[in-house]
Amino acid sequence: MTPAQAPLCGVRIADFTIHAAGPFCTQLLAQLGAQCIKVESKTRPDAFRKPHAVYGRMTAATFDQVSVNKLSVRLNLKQPEAVALAKRLVSIADVAAESFRAGVMQRLGLGFQALRSVKPDIILLSLSSSGQSGPDSHFAGYAPLFGAWGGLGWMSGYSDGPPVEMRHVMDHSAGTHAAVATMAALHQRRRTGQAQHIDLAAREVASAMIGDALIQASLGQRPERTGNAHLSMAPHGVYPTREPDRWLTLAVRNDDEWRALAQELNQPSASSDPRFASADARLHHRAELDALLARWLATRSAEATAERLQRAGVCAHVSWNMQDVAGDAHLRARGATTEVSAPGIAPRLAVGAPARFSKMHDVGIRRLTPALGQDEDYVFGELLGLTSAQRADLERREVIS
Amino acid sequence: MAEDPVQGPPLAGCRVLEHSRSVAAAYAGRLLAAMGAGVVMLEPPGGTPLRRAPPLLEGTDQSALFAYLSAGKHSVVCDLLAPHGRCTLERELEGIDILIDDTPLGRRAAQHLDPQVLSQRFPALVHVSVLPFGASGPKADWDGEEVNLLHAAGEGFLLPNGLSYELFPERPPLKIYGHFSHYQGGSMAALAALAAWWAAPAAGGQYVDVSVQDAVLSVGAFALQRLGDGSLEHRATRSFRYGGVFEARGGFVELLTLEDRQWTALVELLGRPAWAQDDALRDPLERSRRGAEINRHIRAWMLRHDVDDIVRWAQERGVPAAKYRTPADVIRGEHERSRGLFAPLRLGGGLQAEVLVAPFQFRCTPLEGAMSVPAIGERPAEPVK
Repeated sequence: MTPAQAPLCGVRIADFTIHAAGPFCTQLLAQLGAQCIKVESKTRPDAFRKPHAVYGRMTAATFDQVSVNKLSVRLNLKQPEAVALAKRLVSIADVAAESFRAGVMQRLGLGFQALRSVKPDIILLSLSSSGQSGPDSHFAGYAPLFGAWGGLGWMSGYSDGPPVEMRHVMDHSAGTHAAVATMAALHQRRRTGQAQHIDLAAREVASAMIGDALIQASLGQRPERTGNAHLSMAPHGVYPTREPDRWLTLAVRNDDEWRALAQELNQPSASSDPRFASADARLHHRAELDALLARWLATRSAEATAERLQRAGVCAHVSWNMQDVAGDAHLRARGATTEVSAPGIAPRLAVGAPARFSKMHDVGIRRLTPALGQDEDYVFGELLGLTSAQRADLERREVIS
Repeated sequence: MAEDPVQGPPLAGCRVLEHSRSVAAAYAGRLLAAMGAGVVMLEPPGGTPLRRAPPLLEGTDQSALFAYLSAGKHSVVCDLLAPHGRCTLERELEGIDILIDDTPLGRRAAQHLDPQVLSQRFPALVHVSVLPFGASGPKADWDGEEVNLLHAAGEGFLLPNGLSYELFPERPPLKIYGHFSHYQGGSMAALAALAAWWAAPAAGGQYVDVSVQDAVLSVGAFALQRLGDGSLEHRATRSFRYGGVFEARGGFVELLTLEDRQWTALVELLGRPAWAQDDALRDPLERSRRGAEINRHIRAWMLRHDVDDIVRWAQERGVPAAKYRTPADVIRGEHERSRGLFAPLRLGGGLQAEVLVAPFQFRCTPLEGAMSVPAIGERPAEPVK
């Protein structure tokens, strides 16, 4: 037997997820080796197959990160026969994943009990904005709303400004946590042979990122919105440099690092200045320090300074834009970014393997965005055993559509 | 612990040793502990630096951050640099399924945490390394705190967008609260750990290299995708054309209408004002073009109404809208209470608080509730033979 080259080889996912959070989760599992069969339809195509005016995208995306490695089949779930086929697909899957509003799968006839009846040890992942239970479970939402409901948006922001809107990273954080829970359920099934229904509310993932503040609030204390400042480190923050809109991030954790910073920036007197002699003193004089740093850095190149400070043991990094990220040899060497191309897709960078495994070298992107229904020969033909005539009939009646 | 002996929580029987200084590694262990794994923190004498990490609970020297990250774990003290350090470590590693370690590369050998050495001694061990820039690659020896890592992966540069940027365009980019990057690194480490453990029956143990920078980039993938489409995103321009953060009476509202039907419902919500009756606005592209104008109208309307009324009316009409809730709102939230999101947490000195159990539920085997913050070394080290 050839040893598996990805940890989740042999795991199959029937993927009903839509939007960003759910597809991101199944994409992660697919990069880790799971076979992910994406169920779509012509009438309700995935967001990336459509123009997206809100983001200024006027055509379908040619490449979609969250659909990499996925197989695509069409099923029009408004038709009972399509629902029956979906159940057959689930019956040969380990995991079914969905991200509809709570109650939709039930209405489609694909609720947990229905799926369990065709696959007694199925793991159903339900990812939604507000969860499967509770008074808000019917609420629709997107990433910025998850951040608002969950408290992360309120806690982020300038100390004298409004709360801050979370974007796709919030969706995708929910997706990562959903993947963690799915893996745990797989282990549980291996041990017990039992089914599991995972209920992930994206707003609760936002809350998990203010877990410390929630403990404070539970004691009647009022957590502080600190902006770029830190409660125990100074200097700490994001500083201008000689290049416009080119910022340097700094975090000084202790006296040694402070002295190293002052030395590297040719400010010998600062390292012996009693106002900055200890962490407490630096915190007390934080505003003066921030002003000094801005002055010292005003004549310096951000990138060269970051490299120099890193060599001196100071935590520093330029505030990178995506062009910088794309050009970084470190990320490329790790496979965190990887070049992809295909007919109709010029070479471009995508986000690759989520981690590096010493014994598994096939983790990462193996294939790109599938065309709608491109894998039906394999899935409907080979896996479900439908004949060409049956499939043609189902297509004619728009069950497969 | 009232648990079904056959069923139990998802990770019943999974044994984890955590050697952590960073939020990322500690959060990985925390997620596994919440799902029923037995997680032991191996702490140096005096405890992990996380025990002193802000924010502290008022009137105490206890860290709220550490309380959150350590809830449900055990603590063993071991001086890995002492003469018996290696023996103690090896005793603790007996029977362990997953080791999570964030020791910087240059200090691993001295602490007997070299992956090759460990894999020979413990061939079934899943050894997960969690470092700011990973354990391999030209910058593997770079160090970074949260603020550095958020910006090293491109997300920091893109914040804030929308109203905060409009109000303060000259200010530096703004960090997300707390340890967002580390939570990405931690959740990715937990995922990688469970994936490697899944493969262990066939492949045995292995070494897994997780980077916080990679994890943040992973969740920020759409910005890289946009670059591939020819757009370099900037916080000044990536805001939604209309919608976003609005000030209302008594708080702030997030409003976002992506679908036509949601726009129609929003016009209803606003009381069908004359400006919204313009036929041209039926076209989503035209709405995008005139986003600033639309937002001016919505802002004026929001300021006249109470935040709770707005979100209630909006949700009744199918307009995606939410209140920017404070931590106090969340901890008291009826929805969260109903879902059992929080559980009692016992801290040092007899202090009782509440803690978020986990951001996911297992409906067939609900996760255990009450948790404690372990005192330093509350569990004695395994005796060295």
